[in-house]
Amino acid sequence: MTYQLQTLALHAYLSAALILLWHLVRPFRPGPPLARVLGVGGALLHGAGLGARLWEQGGEPVGLAQACSSVSLAVVVISLVVELRYRQPVLGAFLLPLGTAVLVPGLMGDSGAVPASVKAPILPLHVTVALLGLAAVAAAAGVALVYLLMERQVKLKHFGILFSRLPPLQVLDELNRRLVVWGFVAISLTVISGAFFVRGSGPGLSWSPKEVATLAAWAMFGALLMARLLAGWRGRRVALLTVAGFGVLLVSFFSAFEPVLRSGGVH
Amino acid sequence: MEVVCAGLSYRSAPLEVRERLALSGEAQDLLLGQLRDQGLEAVVLCTCNRAEIYAAGPAAAEALEAARAALCERGGAQAQPHLYEHGGEAAVLHLFRVCCSLDSMVLGEAQIFGQVKDAYERAQAAGSAGGELSRACQAAFACAKRARTETGIGRAATSMASAAVDLSRRIFGDLHGRPALVVGAGEIGELAARHLSQARCKVVIANRTRERAEALAAQVGAAVRPFEELHALLHSVDLVVSSTASPAPLFTRENVVPAMKARRHRPLLLVDLAVPRDVAPGVHGSAEGVYAYDVDDIRQVIDENVAARANEAAKAEQIVAEEVARYVRARAVRDGVPVLAQLRQRAEQIARAEAERTLQHLPELSEKQRKSVEAMGMAIVNKLLHQPTAKLRALDPSGQPSPLADAAAELFGLEEAPPKAAGGKS
Repeated sequence: MTYQLQTLALHAYLSAALILLWHLVRPFRPGPPLARVLGVGGALLHGAGLGARLWEQGGEPVGLAQACSSVSLAVVVISLVVELRYRQPVLGAFLLPLGTAVLVPGLMGDSGAVPASVKAPILPLHVTVALLGLAAVAAAAGVALVYLLMERQVKLKHFGILFSRLPPLQVLDELNRRLVVWGFVAISLTVISGAFFVRGSGPGLSWSPKEVATLAAWAMFGALLMARLLAGWRGRRVALLTVAGFGVLLVSFFSAFEPVLRSGGVH
Repeated sequence: MEVVCAGLSYRSAPLEVRERLALSGEAQDLLLGQLRDQGLEAVVLCTCNRAEIYAAGPAAAEALEAARAALCERGGAQAQPHLYEHGGEAAVLHLFRVCCSLDSMVLGEAQIFGQVKDAYERAQAAGSAGGELSRACQAAFACAKRARTETGIGRAATSMASAAVDLSRRIFGDLHGRPALVVGAGEIGELAARHLSQARCKVVIANRTRERAEALAAQVGAAVRPFEELHALLHSVDLVVSSTASPAPLFTRENVVPAMKARRHRPLLLVDLAVPRDVAPGVHGSAEGVYAYDVDDIRQVIDENVAARANEAAKAEQIVAEEVARYVRARAVRDGVPVLAQLRQRAEQIARAEAERTLQHLPELSEKQRKSVEAMGMAIVNKLLHQPTAKLRALDPSGQPSPLADAAAELFGLEEAPPKAAGGKS
């Protein structure tokens, strides 16, 4: 049942993404509201499917597939909120495909139990915050790529479809800032909460690849926000650093599931 | 009653001919009064690009002739060869296209809609906007509104100043409260200041002659700063529109790059509408966040917009075709209904009279039986008229009025619909 609900959500996201991409090329009025309805409908189905699965597991998140599915849901919700807040449906043409792509591995399903070494009462909170942080940074990276695309049009003086339909540069930069702030807060909470149940040996760091990558990403986003605040960094270099930071965070994400991947992949 | 149109426009007549028909408000009122006295409904549309009379009267040929004569009288012999005439559906189509700005020199410009509305209101005030012409104008306004909302025909900017504002929106988004500097208070500077002010920017004007800057600032609600502070102003404003006659560039890498440091890399857009240029060629991209566009770039933006409008015009033409067909259908129904009503009225009168005569010979019938006889008479009328009614209501797919209405009137010896009061409302 959870699989069917998530598959339906995937189709809804894909349809919404295609509608918005079409709207980007050839604007048509019913496009954005239709995509919104599909996006919200998909997110509700997706949430129900994922929630049911977690309920079955007693609230304990398991495996890479569920993590991907959760990140996908969070990216879609962020995309819908951004569209509503900034009235820029075109952004959905970039963020929804991202959410859809992440959901594909999420449909593969996985089983097993949480390793005893990381079992802790704080684990569900730690995982939730980590995945929300990853989703916020993924959305920020998506927005950063749109910024780079738009900036290229502005700099090269290409006054075509992209120039006239992509969101304004400053709107993209501001959105990037907000998403990075949320992402940074979430990563900080992840690091703090994670430090409490490393190997069941009390607070501390094990310097595993996951922890190193997470700390590197945390430091990068922290430095980025400081540079914005103190040195007035913005625009292109911030967009590039956001994408790089997302790459580092992805390493951390996959490192967390390294044992699963090494033992024959996702079930 | 059908709408006709006679007139000339930039397409058919040169400026010196159009000038002769640039009628003042008073002259238009006189013309409207003259046509009204001839028993015609009339609307006179005079803009810098066209002079047209839309008229409607009991006889289309006479209405057209009166409109043409009125224009020739005022425009002289020179105007005559440039006049065009439209009758029937072509006249309605022309009115709708003009209203939607599909016949304008700048495709999609917004002013024409207001100008047609003003012309209609003037005709109403003069008592010459009759029923048919009123309906045609209202339908044209509805069509224009539909074309504006459903297509992008009027969306993209096609003037230098408005394109500059559009360009700023691509970088900054909403311009509300954004500090903007207008350098130069000439004609282009004035337009730029007006557009920026309309976009709710915080406009500052700098001009070599301070008095001129102050006069313009008073008109658009802007502030004035000394021309000597030009480079210092780069620290605080986000947008610069420059259009001076300066022989050397006012903004160069040397003064823009240090300003960017002081601005902490906040984006700065410089739009140079001057020739020779006010912004040196190397400024664009000289530091992160510096964007500079010159006249050629703005021209390119306008060309893109004009091309986009042309694409949208095809959609607007489709809407016009639909709305004209709708108007023609509605008129056909209006034309057909009096015949139908008369036919039914006549048949019901006959049925009632015959039933009454029959009942006089049958006094023994009960009330129920009398009602049955009356009902039978009406049922025969209904059954007999069912098919003709359906045929008369059915419209020609081409949108033309059904010729059956005239045939039915002829066949059943019905009177023609009473003519509408001359120039009055119907």
